[in-house]
Amino acid sequence: MALKRSKIGMHSAHHVGPNMTPMVDVVMVILIFFMLGSSFTSPVWYLTNNTPAIRGGFSNVKTTKFPPVKLIIKLDRRGDHTMATIGSYQTENLQGSLFNWLNKRRKILGKKTQLIIKPHQRVPYQDVITVYGDCVRARYHEVAFGMPTR
Amino acid sequence: MKIRGIKPMQGEHVNVTPLIDVVMCLIIFFLLVGHIAKKASIKGIKIPSTATGKSIGSQSNELIINLVPRHSDVQGVQRRPRIYIWGSYYTYNNLASVLREYKSHHPSLKLIIRADMHTQYRYLAPVLVACAKAKIVSVHFMTRRQG
Repeated sequence: MALKRSKIGMHSAHHVGPNMTPMVDVVMVILIFFMLGSSFTSPVWYLTNNTPAIRGGFSNVKTTKFPPVKLIIKLDRRGDHTMATIGSYQTENLQGSLFNWLNKRRKILGKKTQLIIKPHQRVPYQDVITVYGDCVRARYHEVAFGMPTR
Repeated sequence: MKIRGIKPMQGEHVNVTPLIDVVMCLIIFFLLVGHIAKKASIKGIKIPSTATGKSIGSQSNELIINLVPRHSDVQGVQRRPRIYIWGSYYTYNNLASVLREYKSHHPSLKLIIRADMHTQYRYLAPVLVACAKAKIVSVHFMTRRQG
């Protein structure tokens, strides 16, 4: 009988510790979950601005000297839309027409033109960023934000 | 001299101990990173989309200013968003001094503004001015890719 038992036992493992297989399974699932979860987060990117505030804005903040040529982009609220005005030029198409206009103007005035974005106080951040994105896309290097208009 | 070799494994099982060690380290790493990321960027902010932008590379020395939107008041007027930095609440009045302090400790500070797309400009302008007061000349606006 004892001999029989030992023969049967030979087929089973000699491992004496706890069975690690379920733990490894669970841990692997958690690891894969975290790895996939981190890759599903929406990609972000950044718009960088080097002259955030204009001279004489709130509290007389001093910033770097401005280049001689200045363009002021006024952003006003018309109902639910934002209207961009530069001199006599006006548009509500912030991503198409405005970008084209800025691009053409840069070719005439050069890269050293200073752009100042002066949004109305109620203009949403999305529109401010869209206009700023246009300026960056049109390769203007000096873009500043003015104090909000009323 | 007789050199004693390593004893062969007794069982048929593969030794999973190093595997568990590594996996556990990875899980702890992901948990910590997730916790830090959650603390740095608060939920409830719908960041604006842009057609242009770039990544800012290394995430060292970065400071995220979260402008957390609040519900409009009874008359439908947008209320001033709350400012959170690393999970702590700050007022608009003490923002400049806080940024100045951060700047003194980290001269190569990367400042990131994370605001809701619907936030009105009047609430964003004071943050930009606070940055300028703290002599932070480079500001990054956090956006998401369009489309």
